[in-house]
Amino acid sequence: MNGEGPIGKRLLRKEDFRFLTGSGRYLDDIEAPRALHAAFVRSPYAHARLRHIDLTRARGAPGVVTVVGGAEVNQWTAPLRMAPPIEGLHPVEVATLPTDKVRFQGDPVVCVVATDRYLAEDAAELVDIEYEPLPAVASFDAALAPGAPLVDDALPSNLVSHQTFTAGDPARRFAQADRVIEAVFGQRRQTHLPIETRGALAIWDEGRQHLTYHNPNQVPHPLRSTLAARLRLSESQVTVIVPDIGGGFGQKIALYREELTVAALARHLKRPVRWREDRLENLLASSHAREDAARLRAAVTNTGTVLALDLALMEDFGAYCFYPANYLARVVAMILTGAYNIRDYSFDVQVALTNKCGNGPMRAPMAITSWIIEGTIDKIARELDLDPVEVRRRNMLRASDLPYVTATEQRLEDITPYETMERAIEEVDYAGFKRRQAAARQEGRHLGLGLCVVVESTTYGSAFYKAAGIPGSGHEAAWVKVEPSGAVNASVGLMASGQGYETAFAQVVAAGLGIDPAQVRLHIGNTDVAPYGMGSRGARGGTAGGSALHLAARDVADKVLKIAAQLLNLNTPDQLRLAGGAVERLVGGAWEPTELTFGAIARTAYLDPLRLPAGLEPGLEAHRAYDPPPMTFSNATHVCEVELAPATGVVHILRYVIAEDCGTVLNEMIVEGQQHGATALGIGGALYEALDYDADGQLRNGTLADYLVPTACEIPNFEIIAMHTPNRRNPTGSKGMAEGGVMGAIGAIGNAVNNALAAFGVEATQQPFSPEYLRTLLRGPLLSLSRI
Amino acid sequence: MSKVPIRLSVNGEAHDLLVEPRKLLSDTLREDLHLTGTHIGCEHGVCGACTVWVDGRPARACLLFAVQIEGHEVTTIEAIAAEGRLSPFQQAMHEEHGLQCGFCTPGIVMTCEAWLREEPTIEETEIRELLSGNLCRCTGYQNIVRAVLKAARRARGNAA
Amino acid sequence: MKPAAFAYHRPRTLDEALALLTAHGEDARPLAGGQSLVPMMNTRLARPAHLIDLNDLGELDFIRERGDTVEIGALTRHRAVERSRALVDACPILPAVVKTIGHHAIRERGTVGGSLALADPAAQWPLLAILLGARIELAGPRGRRALAAAAFFKGVFTTAAAPDELVSAVSFPRLARGEGWGYRALTRRHGDFAIVAAAATATLDASGNIDGLRLALAGGGDPPARAEAVTALRGRAPDATTLAELGRLAAAAAAPRDDAVASAAFRSELIEVLSARAVTDACERARATQ
Repeated sequence: MNGEGPIGKRLLRKEDFRFLTGSGRYLDDIEAPRALHAAFVRSPYAHARLRHIDLTRARGAPGVVTVVGGAEVNQWTAPLRMAPPIEGLHPVEVATLPTDKVRFQGDPVVCVVATDRYLAEDAAELVDIEYEPLPAVASFDAALAPGAPLVDDALPSNLVSHQTFTAGDPARRFAQADRVIEAVFGQRRQTHLPIETRGALAIWDEGRQHLTYHNPNQVPHPLRSTLAARLRLSESQVTVIVPDIGGGFGQKIALYREELTVAALARHLKRPVRWREDRLENLLASSHAREDAARLRAAVTNTGTVLALDLALMEDFGAYCFYPANYLARVVAMILTGAYNIRDYSFDVQVALTNKCGNGPMRAPMAITSWIIEGTIDKIARELDLDPVEVRRRNMLRASDLPYVTATEQRLEDITPYETMERAIEEVDYAGFKRRQAAARQEGRHLGLGLCVVVESTTYGSAFYKAAGIPGSGHEAAWVKVEPSGAVNASVGLMASGQGYETAFAQVVAAGLGIDPAQVRLHIGNTDVAPYGMGSRGARGGTAGGSALHLAARDVADKVLKIAAQLLNLNTPDQLRLAGGAVERLVGGAWEPTELTFGAIARTAYLDPLRLPAGLEPGLEAHRAYDPPPMTFSNATHVCEVELAPATGVVHILRYVIAEDCGTVLNEMIVEGQQHGATALGIGGALYEALDYDADGQLRNGTLADYLVPTACEIPNFEIIAMHTPNRRNPTGSKGMAEGGVMGAIGAIGNAVNNALAAFGVEATQQPFSPEYLRTLLRGPLLSLSRI
Repeated sequence: MSKVPIRLSVNGEAHDLLVEPRKLLSDTLREDLHLTGTHIGCEHGVCGACTVWVDGRPARACLLFAVQIEGHEVTTIEAIAAEGRLSPFQQAMHEEHGLQCGFCTPGIVMTCEAWLREEPTIEETEIRELLSGNLCRCTGYQNIVRAVLKAARRARGNAA
Repeated sequence: MKPAAFAYHRPRTLDEALALLTAHGEDARPLAGGQSLVPMMNTRLARPAHLIDLNDLGELDFIRERGDTVEIGALTRHRAVERSRALVDACPILPAVVKTIGHHAIRERGTVGGSLALADPAAQWPLLAILLGARIELAGPRGRRALAAAAFFKGVFTTAAAPDELVSAVSFPRLARGEGWGYRALTRRHGDFAIVAAAATATLDASGNIDGLRLALAGGGDPPARAEAVTALRGRAPDATTLAELGRLAAAAAAPRDDAVASAAFRSELIEVLSARAVTDACERARATQ
């Protein structure tokens, strides 16, 4: 890149002014004259046949324009068919609205469209649906029990996906081992809970036969493709315009059935139709996540060397597949060996359908993997009476081991788990902890320390998606346009939901052009404007998008310098560079400014093209696409010190340190913010969040009062140690990040609490570690509360 | 039920509106007055995104009916930045990266601005308790706390 | 979620409000702070045909000292109690515990009367009323009457108020000279309802032994109640052994149930631990005033 510049700097965000002053433009802020409002009628049962739907009373209610169910909507749309050619994965088909049966409490059945939401909800109460309740399965075990009722009648059983894998010879290693250590882990069902719920505004232009679709969505172009296909429109008849998004975290990627229904209705009614999901709907019926369980067996020597691993992983996927159900296998199982040199590895991953809201990727869908491996390492240490850091040292990859191809054929290079671990434990005085823990116990206090070494998979390239059977490519696309005045517009196929792209990517483009980031304006979210990219997911934004922008900016800079050379009567631009908004020339070993400004060259390119070098067209813009390697890795070590109150089961986080290497950082301030947010989300899952279903598939805690999102009192301060090293496989050197925090928190808290529990001879294996759960573990060994 | 006429005073301006009694203040501000800075996150009074001031005191707009606010003064986020200049707290939030997606931000600004006017202590535990009524899913709260501390220190410095 | 339609009434006096309640009977609900009622209306769990807005009844918004008691009007906001210097002097447990209700914005609107009338078994006001033996004044078409707190709270979300009565005020006895107080609650997050809460007052005699002792418990599926069993420990030194025994007595006397929030076993353990801690705090505060 040209010279030193804004890359990495803590530039304050351009986005902030509108958000701070309440002048952001989120979906519900968009005015649409004559727009109608939708409300959905949802199944109160977890599993039931739809016997009869009578819309008469609802249709006659005040303000109602229409009321429709699957009978109508399914004719206006094509079903979702998910049939990637993956062995062990069953194809599934989902109609837009169910007509035969409902599969979970909250399943949308009917849509009411009225002149306002209040009236729509009134009318929704007048929809008469006769349900014939069916037995429901509300757990993985119930779903796979013999004779279990089928969630999807088209499948032979509720086991929608089953993959196995073996590398090396684990059986032989297990036979050779001195010990076999087994550990179990489980996460409850969680949900993303962005503060802005889902919604859509669809505007059909009958004259132009064109749909303009506003939707807070992380992947504008794939959404457009899917929406057009489902509506049986040409892609050129659909424009997706994504407004400011109030948080996504993976919930705002799929084309959900409600949003599709709204779009179909707008076309049918020839009037704008809008929908805002309310919070009860969001908790009950948008997208759930996690609810996975694992059993890991480790073959080890007495000195703590891990010879082989065998993983059994199970996920409760809910009732509908808006994503291929095997994606969990691809990532959790594929990256389980983490930072360790373990070549003999087998896994068995099963995913079952149940009568609950379907799962979707929630920031770090693979989060449990870190807790599994790091929790097992800690257990190995406990069982063998070794120091947990020593066991890590014994098995961890060092710089000299890289590049390293894992048992699942992932290439690890430019990662520094060992370095981050050593630094983090130094920071918390790990060596002194045992002493501090013993001293505290004398005072009746129970401390615990836990590590989690994270190797975070990010930025998945095309090769990954193909292998995973997930529709779509892994590339990202960008354009950079310099206007005649020297102002710069840029675009990329991503969509922000808080990541600060308008600032960080201005820094990338400005760095490439040698100008001030204030001069660069980013345009994202409009599919007519932005180039076709795969959008924001999987921690790919900075790396995939940043790289595409970097390449486009570099192409523009190359052209600028060619023009500059021409204007300066030089044979070649090799001694020129862009810096400080002007062209500089290398004279006698030092860079000297010329009289050519960036703006002057832009004007020439558009308005005085006869002065351009032969062969160069007028104008100053470039369009590039970038396809990253199948996987890119960043890494971190989280260390967490907790205090456990055994009398009440309450856990307090006393200290939390993160040492992280996420490659070249575009904006250090933004990266830290991502680390805070991801780790906070992980703490939510580790200590607080669980959707509580009963055996009949009824959700018992579906409000914000009882689904426990952590507040400012529950999240500690995070001490962050930056240890970034560049990624040689990427044009900007970046590595992707922003999910690793979740992985680290789950593992570090898991290990810290178990370190504190070790004194009582019990082990916590199920998150969240609620006070009630920990008391249940402690009740046995702790006979008298007064002793503690 | 049919609509009733009310006069609402919002950000120092009087507005004559026709609303159903059941229309929530949050919806009235956004739809009838086009003040969309007040956001709706839950409609059950937990997330705090809809925080406004009623007679200068923070209140959840989703738990108020517009009709009951007649005769009282409402202040929304739009009134905080005077003439396009960020308030000291808004400036501190900007400097400390106390926001990401921005959806919870107006509610947080309204909560903190009210508190900062009351000779606040500069004590992190109290600040976190103050913030506990505003949920944020993006930031992990740390930078928001830093912003409040910064603004409080600056206010102290000015007052001294 | 949007509420169902209702007719809105805005009385200017208590008598007007009572007349409206009488006129509309079961179809009417009074609206005070709205922090509990409006969420229920927004989710359509509550759908009154008539909503009677009490917020203009300034006559019910007061904090007064009257001899040995403090009187608090039903429409007094939690925040006013939290910030009342008079109460910090006369009955400091009130402002300190009220500060733990929900969050700032909730306390700005929520009212004392509303909380008492709702009778949420996990809430602070009913617990305080039971602990201190408050008297709750009701106003109705048949005039005013006052009930002892123990008689007022009849069950979970159930009080002795008739459908045409409103809570108009509550009076608390002042804490005695040298009387300390304690309040310990277990919540999952800051501001949540307590799973179990223990509130206590204590005085010490000249030797530093427990003299006066009151303990009340909330959270367990029943209205809050005094743990009378602990009075057996009067005369004992407030040391670790005594307090541990106190905790056990309180737990043994309570009969919590399993529910979706917590198991009976867990609640029982919390009662034991929090009772001991609340009384410890009360004794320390008592000692500090000596």
